[in-house]
Amino acid sequence: MTSEHPYHSLADALCDPLFPDVDVALRQGRHIHRGETERYAFLSDANDHLERWYKKYGCDLVRTADGYFYLLPQQDKVRRRQLSLAEMLIGKVLALLYLEPATLQRGSIVDRALVFQSLATLVGQEHLMLRLNPRKKRRDERTEQEQVRKELKQALLSLCELGFCERLDEESIRLHPPVLRFAESVRTAGDPGEALRDLIRAGKAAHVDPDDTQESAEVGEEPDSSQAQEGVE
Amino acid sequence: MIELHRVIGSLQQQRVEFSLDTTDLCFLVTLNIKGQNESLSCFEEDLLYEVFGQVCETTEPDAQNVRKRATHALQRLRAQRLLSRVDGSGLVRAGDYTLTPLAEAIVQFFLQDEKLTRESLAALTGALRSLLAEVLVRTQSARTADQWQQHVLEPLRNSVRDLVSGIDRRQRGMDAQQEEVQAQISELLQRDWFLAIDHCEELLESTSTTLRELNEILLRDLGHLQAQLTEIESLASDAEQVDSVTAALSLGEHVDRVRAWGTSRQHVWSEYYQFVQRYLRDVVRLDPERALSQRLRDQIKEHVHSPYALIVAEASLLRVLREESDEVIRPPVCRPRQVRERAPEATFADRRREEMDTAVDRALAEGVPSLHALLSRLLPEISPSERFAWTGRITARAARSALRSSEHDCPFVPIDGDAGFCGNPESVLAVQGLKLSPRRP
Repeated sequence: MTSEHPYHSLADALCDPLFPDVDVALRQGRHIHRGETERYAFLSDANDHLERWYKKYGCDLVRTADGYFYLLPQQDKVRRRQLSLAEMLIGKVLALLYLEPATLQRGSIVDRALVFQSLATLVGQEHLMLRLNPRKKRRDERTEQEQVRKELKQALLSLCELGFCERLDEESIRLHPPVLRFAESVRTAGDPGEALRDLIRAGKAAHVDPDDTQESAEVGEEPDSSQAQEGVE
Repeated sequence: MIELHRVIGSLQQQRVEFSLDTTDLCFLVTLNIKGQNESLSCFEEDLLYEVFGQVCETTEPDAQNVRKRATHALQRLRAQRLLSRVDGSGLVRAGDYTLTPLAEAIVQFFLQDEKLTRESLAALTGALRSLLAEVLVRTQSARTADQWQQHVLEPLRNSVRDLVSGIDRRQRGMDAQQEEVQAQISELLQRDWFLAIDHCEELLESTSTTLRELNEILLRDLGHLQAQLTEIESLASDAEQVDSVTAALSLGEHVDRVRAWGTSRQHVWSEYYQFVQRYLRDVVRLDPERALSQRLRDQIKEHVHSPYALIVAEASLLRVLREESDEVIRPPVCRPRQVRERAPEATFADRRREEMDTAVDRALAEGVPSLHALLSRLLPEISPSERFAWTGRITARAARSALRSSEHDCPFVPIDGDAGFCGNPESVLAVQGLKLSPRRP
């Protein structure tokens, strides 16, 4: 769509063959970035109409300066969920790697091992094991590490499905601009706490009680990822 | 045909290996260039020591015992068949040495790492077009097998192939140049961040322009070259010159590969170009102090203590009914049911029991005095093999229809005559001598 007003009405936009795909993807939490040329162009051209359309479902169609769209449910008409702790940590590390000039040299491709290594370095292996595998009764260390690795891999796959990154092969991942959403609360030089409160007020994020994970640890439940996912519902 | 397993086995048996450090490599390159510049066919031993010393001054300025190192290096290079002694004088005098073809090939690889420029590519494709035009003219006038061999096949196999390989080689140089630019951009940003933007953009622009121009030349000239080769192939085919046809086809494939390289590089570079532009605009310009990374790093460290979570939509997938498929339904494994009920067969009715009952009742009515007399009267009408069974039945009927009159047990009395035989000649039927009297109705 290259003309100035390709869609004169909402009906025009909904009749576009791209709409069903884009609609389903957005409702499933997918972030659509400039690299997805056709979908992005469609959303850009039909933005005004679709914003009004999704308002009827209690959702904001968010368009960012970094060049990506996503759907943000503000009510319960469209299901929503919070990202799990593992997904948040991996996402933040991906954002950090995205900002590194070394990643630029490789055309925004990073190795999975580097992602996990960076996370372990920043957060600490013990902390990770404690938070991602919270059990009162400690099991064999090797088993716990395996469990955490499994959780992190699952989180990475989930982020790929949400359009933050793309799995190229077993080891390589291409980062996409939506990964900068994880850096949104520290984007400005101001107080990160205030920025986070803004995000929460805008419905883009939710506060998570750190004790939740401890409680589940005490009763020996599954890690907090499932809890976090249920949180908003 | 090369037998791979034999070659591998032979190499493994000989323990072939290569080990060249930078000084060794520079030494070989210097020898090669010196040989070309001074038209030397071989190198005297003193000259080798002298050249090694010069190379060592550049590569390892602090090295001690240079002459001893040179001796070891020469020994190493000879052992690896990179340097060979050619004078054959043995111990008589110091030797003369030359580079082996293997060493020449290694040196050529490093010397030929030429960059692809608009000029070099234009010159190469121009030369190729003119050479192919000449070959085409000669193809049209070739009559004999010798003419085909001399004027068509040999130029195609040698000159034309060399020129196409030249383009190919320079393309590899271009690949290396692109990688170098990518590394340079990364290094500039790492070092200067915001101040590096202009320089990065210049590098990007210049490489993009070069690549674009090269592709224009490739698209324009390679199409023409392909057309020339097709015409040569067609003429060779008409003249049934199989070797020339094969050579033209092979070159055509080579030209196609060159064109595919250009397209793919343009695509890859285009992606990289866009990505770097976005990065410069969204990341570097918006964060001139490069503080975002640090803030994010700090936040990751703190995240496990004060977590928050982003919110995303999570609508379940639409239920799509499965389409009807032409699946073959296989019948269950079973065997035909067995008909267990048989149809009744026509047979004669056996009314002997009723007839016997009537006969017993009649005999009792006529006043037969005892069971012994009753049996003696009725059993002769029955076959000997059935008499035992019928004795029981007659007795049972008599018991229902008559009263036993004697108070005490009576002794057994054999049945007289033929009626007492029941199949076995040694057995004779015997019954108690009970008195019978008919029951009142």
